Amino acid sequence: MRSFILTGPGRLVVTILAVLLLTSGFFIAIGRDPFSLLWLIARSAVGDGYALTETLVRTTPILLCALATALPARIGLITVGAEGQLYFGALIGTGFVLANLNGTGPWLFFAMLAAAMLAAGAWAAGAALLKSHLGVNETIVTLLTNYVAALLVTWVVYGSWKNPASQGWPATAEFPAAFKPFTFFDSRVHVGLWIAVALALMLHVLLTRTRWGLTLDILRSNPRAGIAAGLRWRRNVVLTMALGGMLAGLAGILETASIQGRLQANISAGAGFSGFLVAWLARNHCLRIVPMSLLVGALLASGDGLQMLANLPSSISLVVQGLLFVGVLLAGGGLRRLERGHG
Amino acid sequence: MDSLEIVFSGFLISALRSATPLLLALLGECLGQRTGIINLGTEGQMLIGAMAGYGATAAFGNPWLGLAAGAGAGLSLASVHATLAIGARANQFASGLAVWMLGSGLSAYFGAAFVGRKIASFDSVDAGAVATWPIVGSLVSGVTPTVLIALLLVPVIGIWMYRTRTGLRWRAVGESPDSARAAGVSPAWVQVQAVLAGGLLSGLGGAALSVDYTRTWAEGMSAGRGLVAVGLVIVARWNPWWTLPAALLFGGAEALSLRLQAANTPISAHLLHTLPYVVSLVVLTLTYVRARASGAPAGLTAVMDR
Amino acid sequence: MHIQLRGITRRFGATLANDAVDLDLEAGRVTALLGENGAGKSTLMKILFGYHRADAGEILLDGAAVRIDSPRTATSLGIGMVFQQFSLILAFTVRENLALAHPRLPWWLARGARAFPDPIKRLREIAPEVDPDVQVARLSVGEMQLVELVKVLNLEARVVILDEPTSVLTPAEAERLWAEIGRIAADGAAVVLITHKLDDVFACADDVAIMRRGRMVARLETADATADRLVHLVVGEEPATAQPIAAAPDAVVRTWIRTLSASDEAGTIADIDLRIAGGEILGIAGVSGNGQQTLADAITGLATIHVGELIVDGRTLQAPRAETPAQPSVACLPEQPLRNAIAPDLSVAVNLMLKRVRDLPFLPDRSRMLADASALVKAFDIRPTNPAVLAGSLSGGNLQKLVAARELSGSPALVVACYPTMGLDVAAAAAVYDALFAHARRGACVLWISEDLDDLLHYAHRIAVLYRGRVAGVVSAATATRRQLGAWMVGHAEAETVPAVHA
Repeated sequence: MRSFILTGPGRLVVTILAVLLLTSGFFIAIGRDPFSLLWLIARSAVGDGYALTETLVRTTPILLCALATALPARIGLITVGAEGQLYFGALIGTGFVLANLNGTGPWLFFAMLAAAMLAAGAWAAGAALLKSHLGVNETIVTLLTNYVAALLVTWVVYGSWKNPASQGWPATAEFPAAFKPFTFFDSRVHVGLWIAVALALMLHVLLTRTRWGLTLDILRSNPRAGIAAGLRWRRNVVLTMALGGMLAGLAGILETASIQGRLQANISAGAGFSGFLVAWLARNHCLRIVPMSLLVGALLASGDGLQMLANLPSSISLVVQGLLFVGVLLAGGGLRRLERGHG
Repeated sequence: MDSLEIVFSGFLISALRSATPLLLALLGECLGQRTGIINLGTEGQMLIGAMAGYGATAAFGNPWLGLAAGAGAGLSLASVHATLAIGARANQFASGLAVWMLGSGLSAYFGAAFVGRKIASFDSVDAGAVATWPIVGSLVSGVTPTVLIALLLVPVIGIWMYRTRTGLRWRAVGESPDSARAAGVSPAWVQVQAVLAGGLLSGLGGAALSVDYTRTWAEGMSAGRGLVAVGLVIVARWNPWWTLPAALLFGGAEALSLRLQAANTPISAHLLHTLPYVVSLVVLTLTYVRARASGAPAGLTAVMDR
Repeated sequence: MHIQLRGITRRFGATLANDAVDLDLEAGRVTALLGENGAGKSTLMKILFGYHRADAGEILLDGAAVRIDSPRTATSLGIGMVFQQFSLILAFTVRENLALAHPRLPWWLARGARAFPDPIKRLREIAPEVDPDVQVARLSVGEMQLVELVKVLNLEARVVILDEPTSVLTPAEAERLWAEIGRIAADGAAVVLITHKLDDVFACADDVAIMRRGRMVARLETADATADRLVHLVVGEEPATAQPIAAAPDAVVRTWIRTLSASDEAGTIADIDLRIAGGEILGIAGVSGNGQQTLADAITGLATIHVGELIVDGRTLQAPRAETPAQPSVACLPEQPLRNAIAPDLSVAVNLMLKRVRDLPFLPDRSRMLADASALVKAFDIRPTNPAVLAGSLSGGNLQKLVAARELSGSPALVVACYPTMGLDVAAAAAVYDALFAHARRGACVLWISEDLDDLLHYAHRIAVLYRGRVAGVVSAATATRRQLGAWMVGHAEAETVPAVHA
């Protein structure tokens, strides 16, 4: 029994059981039948075309933010800045759009993406420089700057960029068609999803097959040994964070342009934090991030279903997300204890 | 002279009241980090404390009950961090973020019922004759019981940490669990106590925020204060005595931004809102520039500088 | 108090650390527990102190069997141990450290001298010059050790165990410690001195117990022992000493460390000016923490250089503001390889070519890496032999071999060895010395940082002593004396320096 538990599939089973137990426990505590709710979650996530669409829509930004977290993690950084990078990318991208409202040409779309990505990359690089040159803890810095970025977006959306036509609900003007990405089957799923998956594949190859990936592995394993061997720690800290930032910025502008159609507050729906969870679940493996993003995306998408069909506040999906994280960590600890138990 | 006095004392009391929730969370996190545990879940604990405190006050009409409920809620959530980080030996940052997510979700879920209600809260403390004194008078008459509690806790915890045997032992756990163990202390048990105490204090801080300072509940209302607390512990050099000025820094920045808003400055309220975070960030950076986080409990350095 | 250890056996994984060991300890006597690294002496005493539990055997205290399951139990029984890695808290003051460990610490600690005076009494007797309110981090290693000893004595220990206490002391500090040990024994305690040095044995031990490969092989009165006999008992067969350098060094200076001043987080060095000829072994002596780490870091590019240069074969390799990383002509064997030179999560193969990662193609050929690694693994006898194994799983000795394989397999002009044999048993240490000296014979410069004065005096051509980041003196090994080196190590400028071999 013990030896089965410690194999790959065994660990997965234990983890899933832990999460299900915690979630069911919560459902029981609020006076609901756990089985029917769990089934409802599954249905709201993948039960029909609409559910599937919503899941995929949610997955795209989470996937990109997970990659944005996993890349700096390859050099040993623990960053939670995807949220802020997402906002800042969305901000600057929107600025570009508003400055070119009457423009034409296919290049506009890509220029908007580029503007967002470069801006978010710079935002991340700022935090990275604090770490690389001053040693300031990157987790705290990125978490703090998230708030600043979100406030900046609120600032423009309530202020100078506010669309007078949208009374009561502050947002910018609607994005012209030139800036909206290609969508599939008239659904809300846009080409961003495929871009994200392609990026995941690309990063996977980069990180596992190239000299650069090896360099990052060495620097993560022992920075002193890496530096002594002539590898550049500071440069790679900034590089990984900037690249990660670019990915989160892409998520931000895609959400704004395609899903919302305009910039408004709370555009991220917590994708940055969900991205961190996904990266953690996937152990920062770019390929594993794809299915894990689907899982968490499905979970969060089910919140709407639970609200409609089970009369629960949609924030219940946030609770379940938290329980997921706690369950994974608990299972991990328990498994480690079991491993260490002998010898 | 009069208007200066009003502006000055008004500002100070405003800063104090703004700083109080943060100060409580700061003291709690200071205890935790001193024993070598960092808790990013402080934010979630504040949120759940705010929600529980508000709900209890609304339900029973007694703000003291609200404070107690908030402290209890924070303590309960902190037990999750203790279980994960100490019991399951999970990565402390991950565990803290999981607790944050859980606290955020739970407070949003259970707090949905409270949004927009009103509660009866604390009156200012009756300072008696002192209220008639110049400068000090107007300062003292704006103080509420939560502010007093927080201010009192600073010297209590400060003296406890440096002048008592348990304080010495807790500090030893943070510096070197092995040495502490050799001296007959159980490091894990001390760390659990510290995390729980941190939860109690940050939950209390959250309750102070919703019950006393804002007198409302809104989802996500602590807006990162718990996180700022984690960072400002470093600025306070892990010394409880320094938590007061550190918290006042944040509180002062917020009070300033509120005043500028009220004074109709052309700067947007939202931009001004970033002031406390920016100030905290700058101060944190300066601390690293000057002292490179030296003076940290040795056990914490192992966690933070990988 | 009479302690008897009977049939103590303890395994760590596949290694049999203690094999049915018997030992008797009597009050008032100093017993030296002698043996080379890895013989099992530390393990045996850690079992007595409750740090480990024996797999088999028993411990008797005054005839009654006792179960010592933790250091707390041991302490309550009157057994105290002074460890090699001090268990002092560096950030606390001396007073706080002693108070923490004291059994009768009151709940309230008043400020200043009126505070709880008990822990300080013995400190004033043993080390009166140490200020109790100073931070431990500020003390010298010798002072720290005395504080550690006071800590143990404060617990009313009747059995005092000292684990390799003189390995980090200057000769003068060692003498002081020996005197102290004598006094403790005279007061009625049983003292055990774990050591691998004969000096310790003859200086203060009443009898000596020798361990080899986990077994207790002999027990003699010190009066009946001779150095040769002890060495023979410790090592078993003829010791495999490294070949002493026959040839004198060349006349050509190949390495010049020119007025180098640098700093890093380990410390600062200033005005270091040393010239090393091809084939010469220059030993660097000094108490650990006086700039040795910084010197090694400066040569390998890890420290910030303020003034001066490193010139090898006419080329300036390190200079201020030059971010020049590792060079093929400089090989470095750092101390604590796991901390400084190995990426533990990566394979042995990757670790073997760490310095060449920068020159790899964009898409490296992993199979070629493995093939190259196999050859090196075989040549340097690294176990396990599979190059795909993670480096972090190797033992200390094999890690040093890995680093040696990586650094010494080329033809470096300068080899820097920083405490290269720390923690290695005699066989592994000999292998490292062999490799080092082979390079010297080939004509390379060898800069050898070591704490072992005996080794330096035996094998080096010249010895320089570092004190507070500066060179306190340089002398030819043939004419050096331990007295003089010891004086320099503590900052007393005594005898004039013998002029260096080269101008």
